[in-house]
Amino acid sequence: MSCHDPKDRSRVGLYVHIPFCQTKCHYCSIYSEPIGVHDPARLCRAIESELNQYKDVDLRTAYIGGGSPTILPAELLVGLVSKIKQTWPTIEEFTIECNPGQADERVLQAIKAAGVDRISIGAQSFDQQELVLLGRRHTVADIYQAVRVARRAGLGNIGLDLIYAIPGSNLDTWYRNLCAAISLGVEHISTYALTIETGTAIEAAVAAGKLEPIDEETDCRMYELAIDVLESSGYQQYEISNFARPGFACRHNLGYWLGGQYIGIGPAAASYWQGRLTRNLMDVRGYTHAIEAGLPVICESEPVSDRQVIWQTAVLNLRMRQGIEIVDFAEKTGHDPLDLFGHVIDRYVRDGVMAVEEGRIFLTRKGMLIADYLLYHFVL
Amino acid sequence: MDTKFIRNFSIIAHIDHGKSTLADRLLELTGTITERQAREQFLDSMDLERERGITIKASTVTMYYVRDGQQYTLNLIDTPGHVDFHYEVSRALTACEGAILVVDATQGIQAQTVANAYMAIDAGCQIIGVINKIDLPAAQPDTVAQEIEHVFGIPAAECLWISAKTGDGVGQLLDAICDRLPAPPDRSDEPTAALIFDSQYDDYRGVICYVRVFSGSLWPRQRIRFIGTGAIYQIVEIGQFRPDMVPCDRLTSGQVGYVVANIRRIADVRVGDTITDDLRPTDKPIKGYRPAVQMVFSDFYPAAQTDFKRLRSAFEKLSLNDASFSFVPQNSPALGFGFRCGFLGLLHMEIIQERLERECNVDVVQTAPTVSYEILLKDGTIKRIDSPSELPDMSKVAELREPMVRLEIITPIDSIGGIMKLADARRCKLLKTDYLNPQRVILHFKAPLAEIVYDFYDQIKGISHGYATMDYEFIGFEASDLVKIDILVNGEPVDALSSIVHRSVAEQRGRRLILKLKQTIPRHQFEIPLQVAIGGKIIARENIKPFRKDVTAKLYGGDVTRKMKLLQKQKEGKKRLKSIGSVQIPQEAFMSVLEASKGQ
Repeated sequence: MSCHDPKDRSRVGLYVHIPFCQTKCHYCSIYSEPIGVHDPARLCRAIESELNQYKDVDLRTAYIGGGSPTILPAELLVGLVSKIKQTWPTIEEFTIECNPGQADERVLQAIKAAGVDRISIGAQSFDQQELVLLGRRHTVADIYQAVRVARRAGLGNIGLDLIYAIPGSNLDTWYRNLCAAISLGVEHISTYALTIETGTAIEAAVAAGKLEPIDEETDCRMYELAIDVLESSGYQQYEISNFARPGFACRHNLGYWLGGQYIGIGPAAASYWQGRLTRNLMDVRGYTHAIEAGLPVICESEPVSDRQVIWQTAVLNLRMRQGIEIVDFAEKTGHDPLDLFGHVIDRYVRDGVMAVEEGRIFLTRKGMLIADYLLYHFVL
Repeated sequence: MDTKFIRNFSIIAHIDHGKSTLADRLLELTGTITERQAREQFLDSMDLERERGITIKASTVTMYYVRDGQQYTLNLIDTPGHVDFHYEVSRALTACEGAILVVDATQGIQAQTVANAYMAIDAGCQIIGVINKIDLPAAQPDTVAQEIEHVFGIPAAECLWISAKTGDGVGQLLDAICDRLPAPPDRSDEPTAALIFDSQYDDYRGVICYVRVFSGSLWPRQRIRFIGTGAIYQIVEIGQFRPDMVPCDRLTSGQVGYVVANIRRIADVRVGDTITDDLRPTDKPIKGYRPAVQMVFSDFYPAAQTDFKRLRSAFEKLSLNDASFSFVPQNSPALGFGFRCGFLGLLHMEIIQERLERECNVDVVQTAPTVSYEILLKDGTIKRIDSPSELPDMSKVAELREPMVRLEIITPIDSIGGIMKLADARRCKLLKTDYLNPQRVILHFKAPLAEIVYDFYDQIKGISHGYATMDYEFIGFEASDLVKIDILVNGEPVDALSSIVHRSVAEQRGRRLILKLKQTIPRHQFEIPLQVAIGGKIIARENIKPFRKDVTAKLYGGDVTRKMKLLQKQKEGKKRLKSIGSVQIPQEAFMSVLEASKGQ
């Protein structure tokens, strides 16, 4: 079930982080700031300036995420998209994240015209109560509206994000959520188990006993339900949390799991570039000031050793349904994964959590449920 | 050299009664160190000692003091101040003619005051009673002097009142040391005999022996023989502690100092051994040393099997500075190759463990400490075992004997009820009650060591709001109705989790142990049954449920760095895990055995 061109791994992905939100969602630990106190135009100028540093790189995918990119004033967003598409006309997949409630038809038309061909809608849930609990500002109706608007704007590749294992939910409510997403006919669906991150409002509510986390058994069954329902509706699972109609897997995201390089632009964005894992300053003002002063914006930078490349590639590959392509892996790293991880793989195959078939090493459905535990044994 | 003006003495005290502060004051007053040089508590040199505020290893220092126009040489041999270190105290005391017994004027006599004072009396030391901290508002020097007279028969009027902190009375103490303590006998014409009372390993100079010369003398280039080990060396350097090592030409009868002889084989130097002149050896090796009695045992396994050799050399190095612990190679079916180590007590064990990690940088997995047992077999032979796994088939055993101690607890009378209740739950038998004064009492017990070695002191402190103190000493083995508890993890017996306990509490402890294990062993992919067996019969079972889901939901560019770091960290943490079959058991689990006996 190879859903990508093997050459993708040599291509570099571009990620642009727009760290603005109207308000913070209750589950979110990603870096963002309220837009009100900042000058978005100034940030966009800084981002464009950072982009220029990479103008000679052969980029094939781009992804503008956040935060909420669609919170930017239309002309800034369109300008940013145009700038990227003009700098790298060879971009083959250009995604933008969109919040339901911020989907304006004219804006979507404009960014489509400027080069965006894929939109990822942060629906999260089709249950109004759950949206409130998550701290989302949009309504269920906004989701339907967003998908309609995106279609009218001519976007033929729409992805929807869903969150499950929300306190108070059950298999039944989750099933209805899945059906609602499917009924919209989108090309791509991501399902994420709610992760209770430190420092979030949900974590505080759980700690205070106001919310009861979903028990592990139900969580598992929700995950398995998602796989069953989505696969039987024509969405192939291609990664632990991602499903797509044939040909619609997100090529940009596949780049991460294939072990490819990526350049992150904007405050707090992370890169894997030229053998280093780096992260930009996690502060809008600090970032813009640094760019304007001609100073570096990278605040964390770590070299990735050859050894780390090997296990990291294995660990990332195994998140995909297709797993590790043995020949490709050997070509890229110079090591046969069956030699390197032989004893771990043998044990996992015996336990039924991993399989080796048709030149690929991959996690079974049972294995995907405990991927973190399993993958940790691949660390060299 | 005339020995008439030499005084060799120790300071003995209960912990925190001001021994180290007094030592500092003596060093200052004799000009051995200046006030500016004086780091607080000069003699506690190990980092660990400073952190814990206790003296672990005995140190020594030579001071000069002029009294009535005559210069005296005062050799202070510092002693450790904790319940576990009886042996170290005894070594130091053997090298002395006198002892200064320090008692806190606000606290009075405490359990270790008693234990240490009796040891000094046994070693033949003349004792000067000193009441310290008289500067504190709560000081009751008169009452404390009465206690000293009552307990040790030292007349209250002869006790000196001092404040080591302010220096008040310390001058009079120096005079008393010169006037009241006996001089060492002059045996400089006899063949050389010097007692090793401590040693230290120096990477550049080899073993440095701390010695007290009893007869004859030591000099550089002298050929010396260690009587016990038979090793022969040539002295490279001798000298005194002033307090840094200062070389000299000769150490004669009565003197205290150090010997460097380029000794690289650490096994050649045994604390307690006698050094003599190889050409004119003495026929009288110094006696009076009690061998260290290790009463608490624990297995140390290198977290990584490849570290076994490093662990061995680390132990060899530590054993040079601490003659009171033992280590014997051990092979556990469950845990692989490691060492069975014997300690004087639990604190001693913790110290060795910390020094191992701090000074030698070896990660170890350690099993719960147990005491040593004696077994009378049906064929009449007697065997000592220091691990439950060594217990032979019970059908061959006529009698199981456990170590008993004489236990003294000094407590305010209002805590007697609580202490008696705890003592009862721990199978302690009250022998005698002595009143120190109307408010404080000494309770004398006979107690099974296994019951008091772990958390007993903490409990007593809790019951008495910190006022009670205790001390104990091994007296012998006694038959007892003991059984072995075995723990099976995933169907496999884990020897390192076995324990020997009294039958009356066996079932309760077994159940508590597996509940504790259930909390400490992480969940695996599969269900892990935990079982308790007593005498081969399973009496309880718990299951560790498998985890069902463990997966990061989102892993994109920004999450990669974080996730990879986490994986690497987990890998590091794995160093402290031991695999038994396919189950990974963390260090804490092995200590659960102790937790299960906690409380009453």
